[in-house]
Amino acid sequence: MVPVMDSLFLQQVLNGLITGSVYSLIAIGLTMIFGVMKISNFAQGDYSMVGAYTAVFVMAWVGGWLGWIGSVVAAAAVVGLLGVVTERLVFRPLMTRWTDIDMIMVSIGLFILLDNLAQLFFGATPRMIGDPFGGVTVNLGVASTSLLRLFCFFFAGITIFCLELFLNRSRMGVAIRATSQNRFAAQLMGIDINQVYRITFGVGALLAGVGGVLYGTLFAIYPTMGALPTLKAFAVTILGGMGNVRGAIWGGLILGVAEALGGNYIAMEYKQAIGFFIIILVLLVKPSGLFGRKEGA
Amino acid sequence: MPSKEEKFMKKSVILLTALFLLVGLAVAGPASAADSIKIGILGPFTGSLAFNAGEMKKGMELALDEVNAKGGLFGQKVEVVYGDSECKPDKGLAAVKKLVTRDKVLVVGGGYCSSVNIAASEFCHYEKTPDVVAIAISPTITNRGYDYVFRTSPNSPMFLMGINKWLADVKKPKVVAFFMENSDYGRDGQKIWEAASKKIGAKVVANLYFEIGDTDFTTQISKLKELKPDVVFNIASTTEAALIQKQAKELDFVTQWIGVGGQFTQAYFKMTGPISQYAMGSSLEPTKAMKDPVTAAFVKAYQAKYPGSRPGIFSSQGFDNLKVILDAVKRAGKPGGDLAKDRAKIKTALTATDMKLSQGTIKFGKDGQVYTVLPSVVQVQLDKDCKPDTQIIYPPERAAAKYENPQPWSARTCK
Repeated sequence: MVPVMDSLFLQQVLNGLITGSVYSLIAIGLTMIFGVMKISNFAQGDYSMVGAYTAVFVMAWVGGWLGWIGSVVAAAAVVGLLGVVTERLVFRPLMTRWTDIDMIMVSIGLFILLDNLAQLFFGATPRMIGDPFGGVTVNLGVASTSLLRLFCFFFAGITIFCLELFLNRSRMGVAIRATSQNRFAAQLMGIDINQVYRITFGVGALLAGVGGVLYGTLFAIYPTMGALPTLKAFAVTILGGMGNVRGAIWGGLILGVAEALGGNYIAMEYKQAIGFFIIILVLLVKPSGLFGRKEGA
Repeated sequence: MPSKEEKFMKKSVILLTALFLLVGLAVAGPASAADSIKIGILGPFTGSLAFNAGEMKKGMELALDEVNAKGGLFGQKVEVVYGDSECKPDKGLAAVKKLVTRDKVLVVGGGYCSSVNIAASEFCHYEKTPDVVAIAISPTITNRGYDYVFRTSPNSPMFLMGINKWLADVKKPKVVAFFMENSDYGRDGQKIWEAASKKIGAKVVANLYFEIGDTDFTTQISKLKELKPDVVFNIASTTEAALIQKQAKELDFVTQWIGVGGQFTQAYFKMTGPISQYAMGSSLEPTKAMKDPVTAAFVKAYQAKYPGSRPGIFSSQGFDNLKVILDAVKRAGKPGGDLAKDRAKIKTALTATDMKLSQGTIKFGKDGQVYTVLPSVVQVQLDKDCKPDTQIIYPPERAAAKYENPQPWSARTCK
C-alpha cells in the first residue's frame, strides 16, 4: 500500500513532474515531426544539445536571469534555424524516395554528425550553466525544491501553452494539423506542403532547443547529452501516441512521475526500466498510445 | 558462381592487404640501435582516458629526461616505447605482445585500466618479462601469485583504507547510506565500505544505484533526505558526482558525501563551484603533499619542464613508476644481451626496491604490491574567494587542514 499523503510521496511526484515537463517539451517536437512528415527523428536530442551549448555561450557573455532568458531566445532561434536547414538539406531530398528506414538511417547519421562536431568544437569536458536564481530553495510545506526547478517547470508549461495557441489559432497551425491528419487532402485544399514541412521541422527543433536549455540548466552539458533525451522522447511519444501533441505533454509528465515513484517504491536500479515497462504495457493494451487516435482514423 | 563484382572485390582486398604488409615492413624498418636500454610503457593513450594517460606520460618523460641528462644507464641511452591500450583488454594485450616480443623491451611499465592490466600482466608472467603496473587499482592484478608482476600504486582496498580509519577514529557515523554507479567500480567500493561500516557499528539504511550517464538523481536524493544518513558513500565519476552535488543543493539536502576520490578533477570543480564544499575522498595529489621534500622536488621539476601546468595524481604515479623501473634496471647490472637472463635479473632487482619517491616510499610486498604508498583523506574546502579545492585532513601527520563538518545550505556564505 502506497502511503498517499506521505510527504516523500509528494516530493517524488513533484520531482517527477519537473523532470517530466522537460521530457514533454523535447518529445512534442519529435511527435510533431512524426505526425506531419512521418519521420522518426533520432537527432531530436541533439537539437537539445545544440540549444544547451548556445546557452553556454550566451551565459558566458551575459550572466544572471537576463542571460538565461536571452539564451532561451538564442537557442530557439539557432536550433529553429538548424531544424529548417537540416530539413531542407538532409530530409527533403529523401522525401520523394520515401521509405521509413531511409529516414531513420539519415537521422541517426545526423545524430552522429552533430555529436562529433560538438566534441570537435566544444571538447568532451562536461559543463554546467550557473543557476540564474543563485540557488534559492522553495519550501512548499510538504515538499521542497529550488526556485530554478520550479521555474523550469512553469517555463515548460508556458512554452507548451504558446505552442497550443499557435497550432489552434494560427493559419499555419491549422495547416500543420490538417497535413498531420491527411497530407494529400491538405495538398488538395491548396496548402503549400513544403512550407508546412519547413515550419514543422523548425518549430519541432525549436522546442527541442528550448528543452535543451532547460535540460542543460537542470543537468549537465556535454556532446553526447542528447542520447538520453532522445530515448525519453521516443518513450513519451509512444506512450502518448505517435504524432499526438497532447499525448506527448501527458506522456512526459506520466513518464517523469512513474520513474520517480517507481524508483522510490520499487527499486532505484530499475528506475529507467520502469518507464519502459509502462510503455510495453501501453503497447499491449492500447497500441496507438494512451491518447492515440485509432489506426486508420 | 561469384559475380564479376565479387571477383573484383576479392582481388582488391588481396592487393590492399599486400600493400599494407609492404608499408608495414617499410615503416617497421630495422630494429633501432641495439645499444639503448628499452622499456615498454602501456597506457590508454587514445580514447576517453587519453587526457589522464597523457598526464602519466608527462610524468614519465620527466623521469626519462632526468636519467638521460646524466648519460643514461651504463653509458647507454634509455628509450621508452609506448604501447596504446585504448583501455580495451584486447588492444592492450596486442600492444603488450608487440612490446615484449617485437620491441624486445627489458621491462613493461605504465598501466591504467584494471581490465587491461589483468590480461597484460598474465601475458608478461608467462613470457617472464617484469611488468610494473601503475594506476590500475584492481586487487586481482597482484593477487594471483605471479612473481614477474609488480604494482607501484595502491590497490582499491588501500585507496579506501585511509577513509575507513578516519571513519572509525574521527567521524564515527551511526547511520550511513550508499549511492553508487551500477558497475564494478561502484559495487567493489560498496563491498569494502559496507564491511568497514559494520566494523564500526554503523547502520546501513540504503543501497541506491544509478546507471552511468544518468542525469536526474532527484528521486534518490529525496529518499536519502528522508533517511537522514550521517554519511553517504557516493561512488561516482566526475559528471554524475557533480550533478548529485548540484541536485542535493536544489533539494536542500545536507550530509557528509564521501567518494573514492577520482571524481575530483578540474572539470568537477568547474561544474560544481562552491557547491562541492565538504565532499570527501582519497587522494595522492602531489601538490597537496608539499610538506614532503621529495614530493615538493618532483612538483618543482615538473613545473620547470611543463611551465604553467600542475602535476596531478597520474603525473606523479607515472613518474614514480618509471623511476622504480630505472632503479631496478640499474641495480640488475648492464644487460648482457640474453633477454631472458636480463629480464630475470631485473625481476630480482625489483623485489629489493626501496625508494623514496613523489608518492611516498616504494617497497614491494611478497606479492609484488606496494604497501607503503597510502592515499590521504581529502575534503573539499573553499578559500576566501569561495574557490573549491581539496585539502588533506587525515592522517594527522600529513594534514594541511582541519575537517569541517557540513553546514546547512542556509548557513553557508559562498553561494
